[in-house]
Amino acid sequence: MKGTLDWQIATVKAIRPETAQVKSFTLTLPEWTPHRAGQHYDIRLTAEDGYQAQRSYSIASEPERAGEIDLTVERIPDGEASTYLHDVLIPGDRIEVRGPIGGYFVWEATARKRLFLPSREDPVLLIGGGSGVVPLMSMLRHRAAAGAKNPACLLYSSRNFEDVIYYDELEKLRAKGDGLQVVHTLTRSQPQGWKGYARRIDRDMLSEVTRPLGGSPQVFICGPTLLVEAAADTLVKIGVKPAQIRTERFGPSGTTAGG
Amino acid sequence: MEETRDINRELMLDANATAGLLREIFGVEMTAEPTECATCGNEAEIGSLLAFVQGPGITLRCSACENVVLRITQTPEAIYLDARGAVYLRLARPAG
Repeated sequence: MKGTLDWQIATVKAIRPETAQVKSFTLTLPEWTPHRAGQHYDIRLTAEDGYQAQRSYSIASEPERAGEIDLTVERIPDGEASTYLHDVLIPGDRIEVRGPIGGYFVWEATARKRLFLPSREDPVLLIGGGSGVVPLMSMLRHRAAAGAKNPACLLYSSRNFEDVIYYDELEKLRAKGDGLQVVHTLTRSQPQGWKGYARRIDRDMLSEVTRPLGGSPQVFICGPTLLVEAAADTLVKIGVKPAQIRTERFGPSGTTAGG
Repeated sequence: MEETRDINRELMLDANATAGLLREIFGVEMTAEPTECATCGNEAEIGSLLAFVQGPGITLRCSACENVVLRITQTPEAIYLDARGAVYLRLARPAG
């Protein structure tokens, strides 16, 4: 890994709506380096008067895709960065980025032995709230691309069915039968005939999803602060070691550093 | 007082969110590296520290005892780093 962390100019290759408030941006990078699933990029926007806004966005794509990355971004109504990305940016535009960044909230299917980090055989539980699913999706895409077969479960909390990001792709990943379970909970409204959970993440739910993983999986939790803390605290109460839980808080409700 | 604490708590992030700044300062990825809290002796990865980023500077606190481990303040000319709360920091040598 290079020691420097330089800003570079990425080009917007494609923009894809995921839900009403969420879009995925494919960026091509002149200085691409393979990321580790769970890492993020910093984006820097500069206004004509020199004012700069900087935000971190999780990478959604798998590192096996060379030369480009997907960032999936939720539009925060008063967010100065996410509204620009959603409302102004079009394919062909250029944008200043640096990354990949972060070594803590990372899951790798390769068995590279590193201090503290889980290995590819360990059962893993991914818990996402809203757009907190994005770095977890990078892990799942990476897991599929690398052919990992470790027991894995995504517990994904959304408000309504329309707010679920990557629903179809998650169904396909689950259907591969490589040890991945995908469990949705819809906290606000549920479509007719909904068979998944219909409440906030709680102790019973966490017990049910951790049991098939042997009770003590490696855990990655990403989402709004309240969800992250409630899930982490409850997991510790049902016997998961704190050292096995990694968290990435978004703050009150928006994205990292407030959209 | 209680209210202030709650707001700060609500806006709290994980130190993983400060990975870019830490790498700018130290030149290497820091969030997966261990550090030891000088107050309580808890040893954990820097990424697991609690990050308070809404103030003029950034404060990273121990996730076990919540005392300050690192404080970082940026001015246009320089970056100030107060590491009194850390027993040590580990900087990995670049591979190869």
